[in-house]
Amino acid sequence: MSRDNNKSIAVSLATASCALLGTTPSSPVSAQEQHTWDFDTALLYYGENDDRVEDISLNVLARRNFLDDRILTLGLTVDSLTGATPIGAIPFDGPQTFTTPSGLQTRTRPANEIPLDDTFLDTRYAISASWQQPFGRMNSISAGLTASGEYDYFHLGGNFEISHDFNKRNSTVSLAFAFARDEIDPVGGAPVPLSRMLDVGDLSNRLGDDNKDVIDIVAGFTQVINRNWLVQVNYSFSDSSGYLNDPYKIVGLVDPVSGDPVPRTPTPGVDGPSHEYLFESRPDGRTKHSLYAQTKVYLGGQVLDASYRFMTDDWDIDSHTVDLHYRWPLGSDSYLEPHLRYYTQTHADFYRPSLDASLPLPAYASADYRLGEFDALTVGLKYGWRTGPGGEWSARLEFYKADGSVPGNLLIGNQGGREIYPDLDAVIAQISYRFGL
Amino acid sequence: MAARSTTLKRKRGYFEGAFQAMGSPCEMLCATDDQSVAQQVLDVVAGEAWRIEDKFSRYLPGNIVDRINQSDGEPLDVDEETANLLDFADSLHRLSDGRFDITSGVLRQAWVFDGSDNVPHEAQVRSILAAIGWHKVRWERPTITLEPGMQIDFGGVGKEYAVDKAADLGTRRADVPLLINFGGDIVATAPPEGSQGWQVGIEALDPSVRKAERVIRLSNGALATSGDARRYLLKDGVRYGHILDPTSGWPIAAAPRSITVAADTCTQAGMLATLAMLAGAGAEAFLSAQAVQFWIQR
Repeated sequence: MSRDNNKSIAVSLATASCALLGTTPSSPVSAQEQHTWDFDTALLYYGENDDRVEDISLNVLARRNFLDDRILTLGLTVDSLTGATPIGAIPFDGPQTFTTPSGLQTRTRPANEIPLDDTFLDTRYAISASWQQPFGRMNSISAGLTASGEYDYFHLGGNFEISHDFNKRNSTVSLAFAFARDEIDPVGGAPVPLSRMLDVGDLSNRLGDDNKDVIDIVAGFTQVINRNWLVQVNYSFSDSSGYLNDPYKIVGLVDPVSGDPVPRTPTPGVDGPSHEYLFESRPDGRTKHSLYAQTKVYLGGQVLDASYRFMTDDWDIDSHTVDLHYRWPLGSDSYLEPHLRYYTQTHADFYRPSLDASLPLPAYASADYRLGEFDALTVGLKYGWRTGPGGEWSARLEFYKADGSVPGNLLIGNQGGREIYPDLDAVIAQISYRFGL
Repeated sequence: MAARSTTLKRKRGYFEGAFQAMGSPCEMLCATDDQSVAQQVLDVVAGEAWRIEDKFSRYLPGNIVDRINQSDGEPLDVDEETANLLDFADSLHRLSDGRFDITSGVLRQAWVFDGSDNVPHEAQVRSILAAIGWHKVRWERPTITLEPGMQIDFGGVGKEYAVDKAADLGTRRADVPLLINFGGDIVATAPPEGSQGWQVGIEALDPSVRKAERVIRLSNGALATSGDARRYLLKDGVRYGHILDPTSGWPIAAAPRSITVAADTCTQAGMLATLAMLAGAGAEAFLSAQAVQFWIQR
């Protein structure tokens, strides 16, 4: 067995085996060592334009594989967030001064810029654990716990899922249930909804902490059409109740004719807001229904993954999401994967970029741009390369662009010609490494 | 010989059939919900294992192997299947530079790997070597002529061959995903519906460790393992593994304790594992050059 002949031995052996067995193998061997532990790690950068939010996020998912398809999954995420977010006030041609959430100082934002709150700085930790195992001959169950914390927020959740295979295991129905309790302890205390932003040091409209409960139920159906084609549909129901406000968001009172913020005079000798601003007020309940459909098609090594989601809720937001991934193999060990996502939503019925100071206050109002009407497009490209059995690196770069518009009936006075909605551009860059031990 | 019977149990998503053949526990996993289909496939699979055992076992008087070994220098015509196995053995002998040799079974007279210190005398091994050597056999299909005193033995290939044949026949009986395991020689015909493949455990070397050392997901193709940690001799601190070099009559030095190879057929996987064992310290280099997946325990 000289070294040079080594490779030809396997070939000669294959020929001799075919002659012996009188058949050729119908498909080549496909064997992969199942690791005791599989790890998915990722480092993600998310950056918004105009020095808005920046997030550096580290994700580690560890999976312990036991025999008979029993799996323990542990997750850890650490986010480091910096930057600023739109506070809710509309821009106009004069500077605006706001009391910071702590109530201890003020910040002044220049004219003709969308006012941002730049006290935004946080580290968030999230952990999760779940256990999955077969249950009976045709069922699988999983149960998990999630927890996350940041300085003003604590989340604790539990989830349970059961799935049932039938039709020669080509069909699966599943039912998932999740419950979460979130504790919100805003800096300076949660403001009374629709109360005014007050002078520095005046915390008379602040309450203590608050909480919300979220229940999610998802019913799903997955069908294997053939070896290369899989279809999934599901319906989800989500009910949130409790404190649903963003405690740091405000709505400005504006002059019915000019549409400009109504000026305010702080108490002499004390700093305070330059204009009349109200803390936002959202309903204390939100019910969402969504329908989701996904299909995966394998075309000779290429994979098309397409999905669509429709969501509607009792805040009057309807949204549509179309998401497309296409995996393009480059040789046997690497691939390119373009990604295209389109999202569009209608605004919440209480979305108000500003409030007419001459009219009585509505029960609910929020100028949060995330509750407004907007379209968003994500375009991205991922490159992945395998480094051995179970090992894979990937690098992803994506651009996100959201353009909003404010319906004419929500504009007051001369606001028509101004850029009120804070459009958003963001860059997402991620490096991931998957490996097994 | 153990009584020839099969058992069939319903498991999660498949049926598990079991029987005894070729001195090993054998099992068949059949991914179907239909018990009668599973039983029919099991009958075919077990029937083929027993047929091959009866025909090629060196322990059964009157079968073709016995008749060849009793031929006492006389030429003997063999049937098609036996001729195919002899052709294959001939190819392996050439590919291995004489280290794979179906006439080497007589070395068992000197070597009994029972964990004791009964290492044979050199003179005893040398005298047996005279009766070994495929190159001394006259093989012109369909006629074989053995020198008097020589014997052949298909033990080195029979189980792998049986697994491939049984898998082929089983699939012809019913087109359902099958996993067939004859004492560690394994073939999967297709993954069970909706799964990433059958989970195959490879035992830890230490027999006191009851859990599987590794788990391999096998969707298609074969796994074969060469080596047996329990078969060795130990004398004066030297461990003698059970893989014998027919050219010297002595155990291969520095052979791994266990080699598992994945290949399209079990016959290929088994022969690659055996050839790698015969390469001793070069086992890893040999298999790397073959561009096959393998797992070695030393």
